[in-house]
Amino acid sequence: MSASGPISKHPGATRKRGPRRLRGLPFVLPYLPLLIVFGIAPTIYAIDLAFTNVAGGWVGFHNFVRTYNDYRFGPAFKHILVYTSIWLCLLVVFVVGLALLLHGRAGRVSATFRFLFYIPGALAGAAAVLVWLFMLDPSVSPGSFLLRDVLGADIFAQSIAPGNLAYIFAMIAFWTGAGGWIVVMYGALNTIPPDLEEAARIDGAGPIGIALRLKLPLIRKWIAYMVILSFATGTQLFVEPQLVNQASLGLVPDTWSSNQLAYQLAFRYADFNGAAAIAVDLLAIGLVGAVLIVTRTGLFRTDD
Amino acid sequence: MKINRRWLGLAPLVVAAAIAAATASAGAATAKGGSASGSITVWVDAVRLPAAKAYVKAHPKVKVKIVTFDGDGNGATTLQAKIQLWNRTGKGWPDVIFSEQANDPVWMASKQFDFAAPVKGLIPAKMLAKWPAPSRGQCTVGGREICVQDNLAQTVLWYDKTLMDKFGYAVPTTWQEWAAIGQKVATEHPGYIIGNAGDSYSAWMYLWADKCPISQVQTNGSVRINSGDSHCTRMASLLDPLIKNGTTPPENIFTPAFAQKYGGADPKVLMMPGPTWYAKDVFSGTLKIPAGHMAAAMPLQWNGETPITTGQIGGGPWIISRHSKNIAAAGDFVTWVTTSPVVKDKGPGYPSYAPAATRWLANLGKDPYFASSPAKPLQAAANLIWRGWSMVTYPDQPVWSNTVVTQLVAGKSLTDLLPALGDGLAQAAQAAGYKVVRQ
Repeated sequence: MSASGPISKHPGATRKRGPRRLRGLPFVLPYLPLLIVFGIAPTIYAIDLAFTNVAGGWVGFHNFVRTYNDYRFGPAFKHILVYTSIWLCLLVVFVVGLALLLHGRAGRVSATFRFLFYIPGALAGAAAVLVWLFMLDPSVSPGSFLLRDVLGADIFAQSIAPGNLAYIFAMIAFWTGAGGWIVVMYGALNTIPPDLEEAARIDGAGPIGIALRLKLPLIRKWIAYMVILSFATGTQLFVEPQLVNQASLGLVPDTWSSNQLAYQLAFRYADFNGAAAIAVDLLAIGLVGAVLIVTRTGLFRTDD
Repeated sequence: MKINRRWLGLAPLVVAAAIAAATASAGAATAKGGSASGSITVWVDAVRLPAAKAYVKAHPKVKVKIVTFDGDGNGATTLQAKIQLWNRTGKGWPDVIFSEQANDPVWMASKQFDFAAPVKGLIPAKMLAKWPAPSRGQCTVGGREICVQDNLAQTVLWYDKTLMDKFGYAVPTTWQEWAAIGQKVATEHPGYIIGNAGDSYSAWMYLWADKCPISQVQTNGSVRINSGDSHCTRMASLLDPLIKNGTTPPENIFTPAFAQKYGGADPKVLMMPGPTWYAKDVFSGTLKIPAGHMAAAMPLQWNGETPITTGQIGGGPWIISRHSKNIAAAGDFVTWVTTSPVVKDKGPGYPSYAPAATRWLANLGKDPYFASSPAKPLQAAANLIWRGWSMVTYPDQPVWSNTVVTQLVAGKSLTDLLPALGDGLAQAAQAAGYKVVRQ
């Protein structure tokens, strides 16, 4: 069974990159048109818009400077920074922690909990926000005692006080997204060959030792993968603040997040170039984050 | 790449979430034998939905597609986003839009959006003449009259006659008397309220009424925003103790918590400055205050200063699209929903069309819901709206909500927040392209 033994080292088999690449092509092909139409083309369009004016003339970094000086730019990016940091910390600590815990349990218990964790994720983003709007309103929330005693909130407006928002959005995002990631991490943990674990146990490692010193390093790449994807979605937060803006009858500004600001610029002020500049800012942030994580964790390294 | 995926998600989101996606294709009249009147699409808020449906019923030959949306209330920018998109795609405009935001026609008439059609010729001139002059003035942008107001929304003082009698308070005529009662209520009858300050439009209620110049378009087109003016600060100092002692809480009247706390069979709304459309719609409908309690009094006066001035909240306009393929039917629709006795005589708001207003007031006077007829003060207040508060292209109400209400809730005083309100409004005005005068 243990197929992890060295596959006969045919020196030619790995050298011949050409045919191998071709073999991969059919797997990528179905996604390629979508990537071009919905990914690459709009990106190029956004970059084009960001460096031009309404008439299509080249303006260099003017749009970037202009949007940077907008009075809503600083707060929006600050909000996003705080929110993303909180959310990523929550994700990494709890998703990995829970997945490790589950992996150590017996099959049925673990399956039940995986299912339970996954359920909230079945709610689409907007629906999840609506659920939370009720949860956060002390007059209807089943957890109103928590809101009153912990947050000191007697009315909805106090629950969603400006200082709480980043935490609230992080909580909503965690609640809807973590379950899916726990399942993924669990899958990742399952790829660890049981003999490795056995060997560790024979060497005297306890369950904690195995989890932290054996399993954790082995799923490092999956964690990096989760962080990259979550970082990108985190910085592009839109649905949650937009809905809370409406549900709170305007208490939360409609430019709370940077993506909302871009949306407002485009569709309220008809400033598509400014909106594109913010979109490109976000793209740059996402890329830098991804590159940092990829290089630091060796996500795409295949030789270890 | 990620960004664009999100961007693509935006369009359906706006439709699905913001617009409560209630495309009530109201009985798209099976037009017996080729309808000459064609079809129109109208966008209305929930309150105007019955009127639109009544039109459909009365006009089987016109195919009306009714779309309900958030009405652009509380300073939302739904319509700006939608019109931008329609303008960009060059199609999709509805024929008629109702907006809850009195500001909306100003930007709809602008070159950038260029949506509104002049109503001249679409609504019979004879009828148009029966809208009060200030109402028509508010709908006239750059010399063109491009909307008609659905209802007038002057603020008056609503009060609970039963409670006032029981507590032995006289109905106040000045803000000072009103505030004095507030101080008494706080000690004698805690839990009762004499107003609220947590609505998105509370500035329109208190600051507008006291002639606070924070939305005043000058003849040269700049906008004057001076929240440090004595007319703003004195109202703030009057309100602060009342906000603090709980008789004018910074809570929103449309939240479930508000109705729970202050409405119901044992109502706690002793007094409430509010617009005409609060009438039965809000007191009975939203707050569930039983019949025989509410009555109206004249707008409050500032310590003997004449003339009495009052604010306005809402008074939403109907706008006809200049892109309409069936503009005659669109005009007919707007004329009917703003003047027809079928919808106007018993509708929620004070009709702006004068003959309808007379009938509406008569009906209101006869309505057993009220402890005494509110008709007289409502009618008198119609002429008292202060004219120094202009409609602007940016929504100012969100600025009040997110710079003032959120902080009042946290215990700050309105007086301390006025500078931030001024700054916020100035930034919003500048972002919308206005020159701002800060004194």
